Amino acid sequence: MLNDFFILMKFELLPAVIFFVLLFIKVGTAELSNASIIRLANILLFINLVAGFFYNKDGGMFGDMFHTNALIVLQKSILNLGIFIVSLQAEAWLRTHKHVIEFYLLLLSSLMGMFFMISGANLLMFYLGLELATIPLAALANFDLEKRKSSEAAMKLIMSSAFSSGLLLFGISLMYGTTGTLGFAQLPALLNGSNLQVFAFVLLFAGFAFKISVVPFHLWTADVYEGAPVPVTSFLSVVSKGAFIFVFASVLYTVFKPLADTWYHMLFLLSVLTMVIGNLFALRQQNIKRMLAFSSIAQMGFILIGISGSSQAGTASAVYFVLVYVFTNLAAFGVVALVSAQTGKEDITDYKGFHATNPVLAWVLAIALFSLAGVPPTAGFFGKFFLIMAGAAKQNYWLITIAALNMIVSLYYYLNLVKALFMDANASPVPKITFGVYAKLAIVICIAGMVLSGLASVVYEYIYNLSTGF
Amino acid sequence: MSTSEILFWFLSVLALFSAIMVLVSKNPIHSVLWLIVVFFAISGHYLLLNAQFLAIVNIIVYAGAIMVLFLFVIMLMNLNKETEPSRNIWMKFSGVISGGLLLWIFVSATRSAGEIVGKTAMIKEGSIGLIENLGKVLFTQYALPFEISSVLFLSAMVGAVVIGKKQ
Repeated sequence: MLNDFFILMKFELLPAVIFFVLLFIKVGTAELSNASIIRLANILLFINLVAGFFYNKDGGMFGDMFHTNALIVLQKSILNLGIFIVSLQAEAWLRTHKHVIEFYLLLLSSLMGMFFMISGANLLMFYLGLELATIPLAALANFDLEKRKSSEAAMKLIMSSAFSSGLLLFGISLMYGTTGTLGFAQLPALLNGSNLQVFAFVLLFAGFAFKISVVPFHLWTADVYEGAPVPVTSFLSVVSKGAFIFVFASVLYTVFKPLADTWYHMLFLLSVLTMVIGNLFALRQQNIKRMLAFSSIAQMGFILIGISGSSQAGTASAVYFVLVYVFTNLAAFGVVALVSAQTGKEDITDYKGFHATNPVLAWVLAIALFSLAGVPPTAGFFGKFFLIMAGAAKQNYWLITIAALNMIVSLYYYLNLVKALFMDANASPVPKITFGVYAKLAIVICIAGMVLSGLASVVYEYIYNLSTGF
Repeated sequence: MSTSEILFWFLSVLALFSAIMVLVSKNPIHSVLWLIVVFFAISGHYLLLNAQFLAIVNIIVYAGAIMVLFLFVIMLMNLNKETEPSRNIWMKFSGVISGGLLLWIFVSATRSAGEIVGKTAMIKEGSIGLIENLGKVLFTQYALPFEISSVLFLSAMVGAVVIGKKQ
C-alpha cells in the first residue's frame, strides 16, 4: 500500500518535495547566490524529469480521486520536459532577479496542479487541479515587478481565469444536479443528452476553451503573452496549454462520449474560427511575442481538428503534437527570451539583419519557425500531418480544406520573419547575444527534439500504442 | 403550506431581491451591505437543508471575514460617482441581450430537464451537512482534494507575498 503510494504518486510527490526543499532554503538563514539557487533548481528539475521514466505502474488511489496509466505517465513526462527547458531558458532573466526561489515555487505548484488535474478521475479533483495550475501562473505573470505591462498581464490573466472558472463551476454544479455524481467512471452512464446536461456541457467546454484560448475565448491571450516575462509566456503557451489539451482530449473521449455528436459540431465550428482568426490576427502583429501568441492560438485550432477525429489516432496525434510543440515553441521563445533579457527588444523590425550578428540564434529561430509552419523535414510537419489525418477520418473535407488553406496563410507570416532575420538590412541590428551553458543546453535539446521526434517514427508509434479512442 | 415551505419562499424572495439590489445600488457600500443579506438568506437555506455547520461557516467566513475585506478595499480605493467608469450604451445593450439569452436558455433547459422536475430537496432529513459527517467524508473520501487545497493556498500566499513586497 505504502509502496504503491510512492510509485503511483511519484510524479506529484517529487515536485512537492522540491517545492518544500526550496521553501526551506528560502525561509532558512543561509544566503545563497542566485547562480547557486538556479543551479540547484535545475539539477532538481532534471532529477524530476529522469525519475519519471523509471518504475511506473498503472493503478488508482483514494477511490476515484487519483489514477494513472502509461499514457498519463507519458503526458506528465512531456510536461516535466517542458518545465525543465523553461527553467534552463529562464536563467538569463533570473540571474539578476530578486525572487528566484519564489519563481520556482510558483512554477512547481502550477506543475503539481497540472499533474493532479491529469490524474484525477473526478470533477472535484479536476477543478482543484485546474485552480492550482492557474493561480500561481497569474502571480508569475507579474514577475517583472517594476513593469506596468507585467501587472496588467497578471490582472488580465487572473480576471479571465476567474471568469472561466465561474463558467466551469456552474457547468460542474449543473452536471452534478442532473446526475448526482462527480466521478468520471459513473458519469457516462448517466448522461442522456437532455437539454440541461447539454447546457452544462457547453459551460464546461467554455471553461476549457478559455484555458487553451480557443477563439471566442482567446481575448486575454495576446495581452498576457506580451506583458508577462518571456519564460512565463513560454510556460503558459507550452506547458500549461499542453496539460489542458491532454485533459480535454481524455475528458471528451471518456466522460462525454455519450454527447459525441454534440461536441463534434462544437469542435468543428471552434477549430475553423480559431484557425482563421488566429492566423489573420497574427499577420498584422508588430511585436514578436504577440505574433507568437496568435500563432499559438492558430495551432490550437489544428489540435482541435485532431481531437475531433475521436479515434485512437485522435488522442495520439494530439499528444504527439504537444510533444513536438514543446520543442518547437520553446526553441522560438528561447531565442526571444535571450534577446529580450539582454537588449529588451521585442519588435519584429528589431529582428532585421539578426543573422549578420547572431548566426546561430538566427538558425535556431528559423528552424523553429519552419517547424511551426509545418515545413517537411521538421517535426512540426509530422505533427500537423497526423492531426489532419486523424481529423480526416470523419470525412469532413470542409474542415481539412480550411486547415490546409490556413497553413498557407501561416506560412506567410512565419516566412516574413525568416526573411527579416536573413535578408533584410538593418542599420542597428541586435548586438551579439552571449549565452551561457543553460541556454546552450536548452537550444540543443530543442533542436534535437525538433529533428528527431519527426524523423524517428518510433515516437509516434509508441504514443499511438498507448492511446485510446472510440 | 408548512412552516418550512413558508420559510423557503421567504428566504428565496429575500435572496433574489437583495441580489438584485447588490447590482442596482449605485453606492458600493450599499452593494456590500445587500450582499450580506444575500449570504444570510443563503445560510437560512442551508439550515432548512439541515446543514447547520455550512450555515454557520457561511456566515462566519462570507458575511464576516470576506465582507470586511470588501469594505476595506472599497474604503482604500475611495470609489465614488466620479471614478465610476462610464459605459457605452451599446455595451449595455449587448450585455442585456446576451445575459437575457443566457437566462432564457437556462430557464427553458431547466424546465425540460426530466432529472430534476418533480423532485424535492431533502428538507430536514439530509445529514451530510452536520459537522461529524462532513469531517468524516473530508478525511476519508475527499482526503486528497483537501490536501491539495492546502497546497493551493500556500502557493497563492507565496504569489501574494512576492507581489506585495514590490517596493
